[in-house]
Amino acid sequence: MRRKNPVLYYGGKLLSFLLSVFFLSLAVFYASRLAPGDPLVSYYGERAEKMTVQERAQAEERLGLHQPIHVQYARWLQNALAGDFGISYKYKTDALSVIAARLPNTLLLGGTGFVLIFTGALALGAVCAWNEGNRLDRFLCRAGTAISCIPEFWLSLALILVFAVRLRWLPSGGAYSLGGGGPADRAAHLLLPLTVTVAGHLWYYAYMIRNRLLEEIRSDYVLLAKAKGLSRRKVLFRHCLRGAMPAYLSLMAISVPHILGGTYIVETVFSYPGIGALSYESARYQDYNLLMLLCVLTGGAVILCSILAQIVSERIDPRMRSGEPAEVTDHG
Amino acid sequence: MDERFTLTGPRTPLPPPPVKRPWHEGKPVAAMVTLAVIVLGCLGCELFIPKDPAYMDLFRPSEAPGPAFWFGSDPMGRDIFSMIWYGGRVSLLIGFLSAGISTALAALFGTVSGLAPRRLDELLMRLTEIFLSIPSLLLIVLLQAVLGKAGVVSLSVVIGVTGWTGMAKVVRAEVRRLRESEYVLAARCMGAGFFHVLRRHLAPNFFSSIMFMAVMSIRSAIAAESTLSFMGLGLPLEVVSWGSMLSLAEKALLSGAWWIILIPGAFLVVTLLCVTSIGSWLRGEGNDQGSNL
Repeated sequence: MRRKNPVLYYGGKLLSFLLSVFFLSLAVFYASRLAPGDPLVSYYGERAEKMTVQERAQAEERLGLHQPIHVQYARWLQNALAGDFGISYKYKTDALSVIAARLPNTLLLGGTGFVLIFTGALALGAVCAWNEGNRLDRFLCRAGTAISCIPEFWLSLALILVFAVRLRWLPSGGAYSLGGGGPADRAAHLLLPLTVTVAGHLWYYAYMIRNRLLEEIRSDYVLLAKAKGLSRRKVLFRHCLRGAMPAYLSLMAISVPHILGGTYIVETVFSYPGIGALSYESARYQDYNLLMLLCVLTGGAVILCSILAQIVSERIDPRMRSGEPAEVTDHG
Repeated sequence: MDERFTLTGPRTPLPPPPVKRPWHEGKPVAAMVTLAVIVLGCLGCELFIPKDPAYMDLFRPSEAPGPAFWFGSDPMGRDIFSMIWYGGRVSLLIGFLSAGISTALAALFGTVSGLAPRRLDELLMRLTEIFLSIPSLLLIVLLQAVLGKAGVVSLSVVIGVTGWTGMAKVVRAEVRRLRESEYVLAARCMGAGFFHVLRRHLAPNFFSSIMFMAVMSIRSAIAAESTLSFMGLGLPLEVVSWGSMLSLAEKALLSGAWWIILIPGAFLVVTLLCVTSIGSWLRGEGNDQGSNL
C-alpha cells in the first residue's frame, strides 16, 4: 500500500479532531441553554427568586444572557479561543481556575485507578487464558462477572457502611482530613474510592484480554511455534500476548476518559473534591460557563484518545492500515 | 454377495449412540428460577405484601428488621418489605422499556449507517463518537432537564437514548457484511423499501448478534435507574423503586441503619446477576475448537 503524505495524514486527523470538538461544544451549548432552569439562581442564590422583573433583566444583561443563543455562542467561542472561558456563576471566579483546583484530585484517583486496571486486567486475563477451562479460570470468570454486576454507587455505600461506619478504619469521604494531611492521610482517603473504581472496571478489560488470548491460542502460528519446540510460557507471552496487544491498547486508549468518567459517581458518593462531582453540580445548577468548559475538556479528551488509539494501532499493527477503523469488541 | 470379493480392513465405525443429556445442562437454571420468582413476586405483589408501600408510619422511622417490619422500615416509616416488591415493578419496567428503546434506535441507526454511501456512513459514525464523548451522566442530566419532570416513561427514554451506541456499531458491522448479499440486492431490485429490507432481510440476520447486548442493556438500564434515582436525578422519593429507596441511604449511613442500604441493594444485585448470567448464556460461550497451546 502506498504511504500517505504525513502532513495530509496528521492534518486530516487534526481537522477531524477540531471539527468534532466544535460540534460537541455547539451541541452542549444549545442543550444547556434550551434546558429549563434558572442560571440566575446559581449566581445570586436565594435572592434571584425575589428579584423584580427589571432587576432580572439587568442581571441577565450583565451576564449576557439576554441575547439570542447563536450570538451568545459566537461570543463564547470568540472568548474561548482567546483563552477566556468566562466565570463560574456559582464560585464567582474564573471557570478555568475552579477546574484547575480540582483537577489534580481527579487525576490522582483516575490515574492510579487506570494504571491498576491496565496492569491488573492484563495479569488476570493472562492467568485465565493460561488456566483455560480449569477450576481457577472458571472461578475467576464467575467472581469477575459477579463483581462487575454490582452498581458502583451501591458498592461504595456498602464499603462506607462496613469500613467507615462500623469498623471505623477508614474515613467515609473527602480527599484529606481538615487542615491538610500527609501522604498517609491522602492514601487512606483514596483507598475506598480507588477500590470501587477498580472493581467496577477491572473485569470488563480482563475478560476482553482473556477472550482475545483464547482466540490467538487457536490460530495456526501457535502450532508452528509449538512444533519448533517453544515452551508454553514463551508461546503465550511472546506470541499470543503480542497478537492481542493492539486491540487491547486501542481499547485502553479509548477507555481513559471512560475510567475518568466512571469516577463521577464515586466522587459524588464519597464527596471527593474532583471534576466529576463538579460537572454533576454544574449541570444541575445551570452553571453554564463551567459546564461548557468541563464538557469541552472531557469530550475533547475522549475524541483525542480515540484518534490517538487509531494512530497507535495503525502504527503497531500493519493490518489496521487498510482504512477500516480499529475494531474493538464491545461486550456491554 | 458374490464370493469372489472379501472385505478386509477396519469397518467404518458406527456413529456413537446419541447421549441423552439432561435438559438443564448448560442452562443457567438457578438464575432463571430466581429471576422468575422476583419478576412474578413484583407483578403479583398485591397478593402477599403486608402493608401499603406508600403508608408512612411516622412514629416508627428507621426501625430494625423485626416482627412488625420484616425487612425494617425506612427513615419515613415505610415498610421496606412491601416497598421492595412494589418498587421492583418500576425498576423492571424501566429496564425493559429502555432496553427496547435503545435496541430499536440501535437497529435503525446501525442499518442506516451500514447501508449508506461511504461519506454519509463516516459522518454518522463520527456523530456517534461525539455522542459517546459526552460523559453519559452529563448527557442524562441535560436530557432530563429538557424532558422536564422525571417520571417512569421519561426516565426510560433518557436511559434508552443514552445507551444505544455500542449496539449500533455491531449492527452497522453486520449490515455492511450483509448488504452485498444476493438476497438483499434482489429485494432492492424488486423495489423493496428500506423498512421492508430492514425487517425481512437484515433484522433476522443481525438479531442473534445483538440479542446478548439487548439483554445486557436491560441490566445496565436497571443499574442506571438505581444510580440516577440514588443521586437525586431520577425518580422522586414518592415513586417507589429500588433506586429511590436507596436515595435515603445517606441518611441511613449516619444512623448506621444497614437494612435500608443492604436489603434493597441485595435485591438489585441479585436481579442484575441473574440477567447477566442469562445474557452470557444467550451469547453461547461454547468454543468447540481445541486449544493449540
